[in-house]
Amino acid sequence: MRGVFRTVRDLAFWSLCILALLVVVAPALAIVGGLLQQAWPALNFHLITATTANGGLQNAILGSLLLCLGVLIVAGPIGIAGGIYLAEFAALRRGSLLRLGYETLAGIPSIVVGFVGYIVLAQALHWGFSLLAGILALSTLVLPYVVKTTEVALIQVPTTLRDAGSALGLSRLTTLRRAVLPPAIPAIASGLVVALAISLGETAPLLYTVGFTDQNPTLDLFHSPLAYLTYVVYLNSTLPTKLEHEVAGAAGVVLIGLLLLLIGIGRAVARWSARYSASMIS
Amino acid sequence: MRPKIARPTGIRAVVLLALGSVLLAACGTTPATHHSAAHHSTHASAPPTGNPSSQVTLNEAGSTLIYPYLQVLAPEFNSAFSNATLAPGPGGSGLGINDAIGKLVQMGGSDAYLSPALAAANPTLLNIPIAISSQAVNYNVPGAPDFLKLSGTLLAQMYEGKITNWNDPKIAALNPGATLPNLAVVPVRRLDSSGDTFIFTSYLTATNSAWSSGPNEGTTVTWPPVSNELTANGNPAMIETCHGTPGCIAYIGVSVEDTAIETGLQEAKIENKSGSFLTPDQTDVTAAVAAAAGSTPSDLRQSLIYSPGTNSYPIVNFEYLMIQEHQSDSATAQAIRTFLDWAISPTGGATSGNLSAVNFVALPTLVIPKVETAINKITG
Amino acid sequence: MLRRRVGAGGNAGPYSAPSIGRRRLADGDLTRRDRFGRAICLAAALVPAALLLFLAGEIISEAIPVFTYSGWRFFSGQIFTFGDLYATTLSHHNGITAPHGAAYGALPFIVGTLASSLIALAIAVPVAVGAMLALTERLPWRLRSGLSVFVEVLAGIPSVAYGFWGVLFFGPFLAHDIYPGLSRVLAFIPPFRGSVGAGEGLLTTSLVLAVMIVPIIASTTRELMRTVPILAKEGAMALGMTPYETFRVVTLPYVRRGILAAAVLGWARALGETMAVLMISGDLLNRLPSNIYGPFSTLAGTIVDLLDSALTDATGMGVHALAALACVLLIITVATNLLGRIIIRSAAGDLVLPIGRGI
Repeated sequence: MRGVFRTVRDLAFWSLCILALLVVVAPALAIVGGLLQQAWPALNFHLITATTANGGLQNAILGSLLLCLGVLIVAGPIGIAGGIYLAEFAALRRGSLLRLGYETLAGIPSIVVGFVGYIVLAQALHWGFSLLAGILALSTLVLPYVVKTTEVALIQVPTTLRDAGSALGLSRLTTLRRAVLPPAIPAIASGLVVALAISLGETAPLLYTVGFTDQNPTLDLFHSPLAYLTYVVYLNSTLPTKLEHEVAGAAGVVLIGLLLLLIGIGRAVARWSARYSASMIS
Repeated sequence: MRPKIARPTGIRAVVLLALGSVLLAACGTTPATHHSAAHHSTHASAPPTGNPSSQVTLNEAGSTLIYPYLQVLAPEFNSAFSNATLAPGPGGSGLGINDAIGKLVQMGGSDAYLSPALAAANPTLLNIPIAISSQAVNYNVPGAPDFLKLSGTLLAQMYEGKITNWNDPKIAALNPGATLPNLAVVPVRRLDSSGDTFIFTSYLTATNSAWSSGPNEGTTVTWPPVSNELTANGNPAMIETCHGTPGCIAYIGVSVEDTAIETGLQEAKIENKSGSFLTPDQTDVTAAVAAAAGSTPSDLRQSLIYSPGTNSYPIVNFEYLMIQEHQSDSATAQAIRTFLDWAISPTGGATSGNLSAVNFVALPTLVIPKVETAINKITG
Repeated sequence: MLRRRVGAGGNAGPYSAPSIGRRRLADGDLTRRDRFGRAICLAAALVPAALLLFLAGEIISEAIPVFTYSGWRFFSGQIFTFGDLYATTLSHHNGITAPHGAAYGALPFIVGTLASSLIALAIAVPVAVGAMLALTERLPWRLRSGLSVFVEVLAGIPSVAYGFWGVLFFGPFLAHDIYPGLSRVLAFIPPFRGSVGAGEGLLTTSLVLAVMIVPIIASTTRELMRTVPILAKEGAMALGMTPYETFRVVTLPYVRRGILAAAVLGWARALGETMAVLMISGDLLNRLPSNIYGPFSTLAGTIVDLLDSALTDATGMGVHALAALACVLLIITVATNLLGRIIIRSAAGDLVLPIGRGI
């Protein structure tokens, strides 16, 4: 027989917890709902065909995608190679030191990276507002995630595979390439997806490294200001007319749409490579 | 229509002009720029203008006061000269100055001329005005009449936190009979480094010894701490913030004044040097400029604030484009000269239609020769 | 509680790798190609550390002139101004030249950053932990993945979208509907008194920051709840304890340290947040916020706000002043990050912690 007090206390506690859950669910709905509500009148093909000078988002979408591609090219290989080192080759103490390095890097506020990017890349090296400066700033922010997910992914692979490779007389690189990496690819791919998602959503590091322009992006690495979606959201939220708020909302909706697309691609890649490595093992 | 040019200075000018017109004829564009060449009487060989030989994009960033004007000019300019594209952008005058100094853009838009320190540090950066603009003071006080009379002293005290309520007797003294509600004054200022801040604080400095010995003037000043003061980035955001805050007072560039009025903000009448209270319009801005036009220095860094004259509006300024003398290549330099010549010419960009769309006024004729001397210094 | 680490092989210290299935193979059998590959991977692994050192070095060296000029007044002064940039005189102090009237006091920004992040933390931790408890312990397990999606949505929303929502929806809603009532009910607490403003201010910003850091704390809590041994919980239930008592007596001691570490990481995230804060903080300068509803400034927001003003300072001190703000921000965030990781590693070594944004 449970006392009344204990039952009431139990009920009260879990009611509070469920309330907390609602408090977590509500803003998620409110934010997405708010974006959609503001953006609704503006969601049409005009967004993709016109640039921000005419109330569209073409240059911003292309700029954001271009930055993502750049980050993939720069941070992807470096991060994966770094993760491989930490998982496969690193001695204990050196590994701890390097791990300390990238986890601390992950904690650096994005504005500090942008500030240094402006001072060093845009001013001191005279690159001006440039695609490369933006890519480097974003890669700095995103690198720790790629390294970490690669490392964790490789550690999850059972050591029996490595032992088998060693027993067969294969070099370390060959075992890595043939036996250890393939099962880890889904996790590495999801790490890259996280990296791209972060690049899409960042603003502060790009404000002073990439500038902004109403033109479509060129492929020039230097002296090439770009447009990007997050800046449109930032700027237009502070402007007075309804139309500008709608464009801001539309940029937010496109951003979230791209994020969902990324996550979908990541999951598809994970499933495809899981099937591929499963067929290898069996 | 090609106007006939008579140049008294010799064969070089004629040959160059002939070459220039052959080039233009070959490219098949309308040489509206040549109209201004009539003023080139003192120059033996002016650098060529006209459609550049290769594609040039002129990136501009900076002042949100000049930005609407450039947005009006850009389509006309881009269609008049097929190889040159004007790409303007906002960001605040400070950004315009910095980007021009750092060569991040070809032209930096600014309502403020360079400070003495910056001018000394960048002797090859030209301050080139292309129009005359002005600034209005708007407020959002439901219940109060439109066109309240405000003096520089009153405005300074509002921004210092000494006048905290709209029913303050000092405001009533200037506006006898007006119903002033019991509403807190919320001053709104620019957060970004702003030419509007510069001309507003220049006005306050000219009218107030307390302000001139304190914050003084600048694109960014030490604003006295006022507990409910709000900030905004750029002219449009000033409108937005003031619109959402009853009791606010804000200084807003005249090129977006129409939007401010449409959003429901009220315009104030500002006191000038002779004691009259005026709102900015074509007549009183022109009157203010006329008084000062004779004494413009050759580097064109001149304040038009608080000009004498019964009908002179007190907050008037040159709209500058900051441009480096040495450009990266001759095509860019030519494109810039072409744009500037076209922009100050009454048959090119400075038509009454374009100017009145943003409530600007054309440059006074006395100043134009000095502007053209500066334009001709741009080489590539 | 004692926890045996499986397959340990000598792991120790706060930064050792998770020990699942890890065993080092001997290095003696590396071929030339292997060594070459290892060298490349080592170079890649050194890049984050090199970037970190470069960033820190650059910021500190840019900041030193301002620390020299202002000394301790940098941390205690309330006035932050670049001075009179259109004057022709300069001021000299401790061998550094700055514009006339320049003063670099960062106290309002430090207070603003700490206040907004701590209030956000105080709100986010109970909410996130409570929500995850409800999800993992009390609600039917079928709902778990469905409701977890909301946490991931919150983690993925870009911070400008949070700012957009704050400026256009949440701020005005709070200012019209919540704050007037709040200021009446809580009028006996000084910060809750006074003018309610238009929604841009300390409390609004803290609330939005709280929503932003909930995902970090929630996802870590959810992972932690899975590590609690089921047998102990079932034993408690068999003894007749209510679910609440099971939580308090059995689960909490396991997860306490981990939640603390996640809270510290969430705090670090809130400290560094820039864009959302920029849009809803109101950007007050040169004074401390007067009440909890009013405008304020943070270190990160001020750097963005004042960078173009700083660049018009021909002496260069403006940029150095902002670098000094960035330096203080950097030190605070790095310290809290390290603190969080030290706490977690010493408690639950196998847990893989979120980094940065916690996605």
